[in-house]
Amino acid sequence: MNMGIDLTVNGDHLTSTSDPVTPLVDVLREEFHLTGAKPVCREGFCGACMVLIDGDPTPSCLVPAALANGCDIRTVEGLAANGGLNPIQAALEACDAVQCGMCFPGMVVSLTHLVSTRPDATREDIRAALTGNICRCTGYERIIEAALLALATA
Amino acid sequence: MERRLTDQTESSDAMQAPASRSVYIAPSLPAALDALDEGGAAAAPFAGGTWIMRAPIRHEPLKSLYVAIGKIPELRAIKVDADAVEVGAAVTHAALAATLAELAEFDVLTAAASRSANPAIRTMATIGGNLATTAFAAADCVPALLCLDADVEIASRGGPERTSLERFLTMRSTLAPGRLLHRIIVPRRGRRTVHARLPLRQAGDYPTAIVSLAVSLDEAGHVRTARVAVGSVEPVARRWQRLEHALVGHPLNAAKATDAAAELAGEFTGRDSPDVPAWYRVRVLPALVRRAVAALGSGAVGDEHGH
Repeated sequence: MNMGIDLTVNGDHLTSTSDPVTPLVDVLREEFHLTGAKPVCREGFCGACMVLIDGDPTPSCLVPAALANGCDIRTVEGLAANGGLNPIQAALEACDAVQCGMCFPGMVVSLTHLVSTRPDATREDIRAALTGNICRCTGYERIIEAALLALATA
Repeated sequence: MERRLTDQTESSDAMQAPASRSVYIAPSLPAALDALDEGGAAAAPFAGGTWIMRAPIRHEPLKSLYVAIGKIPELRAIKVDADAVEVGAAVTHAALAATLAELAEFDVLTAAASRSANPAIRTMATIGGNLATTAFAAADCVPALLCLDADVEIASRGGPERTSLERFLTMRSTLAPGRLLHRIIVPRRGRRTVHARLPLRQAGDYPTAIVSLAVSLDEAGHVRTARVAVGSVEPVARRWQRLEHALVGHPLNAAKATDAAAELAGEFTGRDSPDVPAWYRVRVLPALVRRAVAALGSGAVGDEHGH
């Protein structure tokens, strides 16, 4: 008998009936239809599946659903407060840094955490924070500029 | 919270085929040992999960029971005493690096814990997982702890057993069900230590080769004791005792250490992989030795990294 896995996702209290070892990214996408997080490498290298779990950036491909039980999860769909873009989202748009949808949701999640927790972050800090978010088509410089803008205006 | 979550349905994914799987979130060490003992060969401990969750990619079957140990307080503790540091097996790389950051004698371990993988992985991956995962040849903390002369304590219903990390590495793949790596004990000896690693990319990558070094010097500045460990070159990290002997009794000299390493590197048989040929892992060892020794000479940490 499956006991159910209780999660709070973007403020909504949800229950998953998935296999307890199912990667969280699959629960989010297949069961809750939140497709912002992407299962790309499934190894924790690329960051495309990054979500915030209890506030911390976490590759959801490596988290079994059972261990997310009781956690507060925020996906890219839940980052815009009250319908408005958060500071990094607004800066990414202002810097024309929006790239293809594969890596970008994870970038936004990682940078949302950085901007909210490290107001004194430097360019090197931003680069370090993006170590686990890989883009293979465009590059990082505009993203870094956007993060610096968000930090300067936050 | 103590809870067992189970599923009785067939997975649609052929790589994740077991008909019944469960995860038991152990609230205490005795509870975890009971579950592992009762689960036998069908059970395995689950710490950070950064290796286990990738089993389908390696075409390996998942176990039918995982005993999650990440919420057990004593496995998440780090105890810093005058004589030793004790690290619980479920301590993450990030937590370990943060705790040891101000203790210079553990620079080698701080570097190993803070430069592996990427920031998010370092908040998940545990020191116990790094040591207990037999198939992971590129684990940074293994050579770092070898050069620090670490011991490990294995817990079981029958009581604890302490052994050297070197011995643990030879027995870890055949540990009987119900036995769990509990903690790592690292002696404090005031040594100067350094971790030199070479990833293919500047960051977020597995190291091609690792040289971990711990030395003590006498009043004349000569090497009194030296421990060198090499990781990622062969399937299992090990000490480089002939190089240790070559260093003892002489001043720390990067050029001479490099020459000695070049002369002795032939004792290693590199492991082949799609990203790095076997010969290359061995070929870079003298350069890593040079960087490690030079970093100790300048007082800086000689970690090959960048973001």
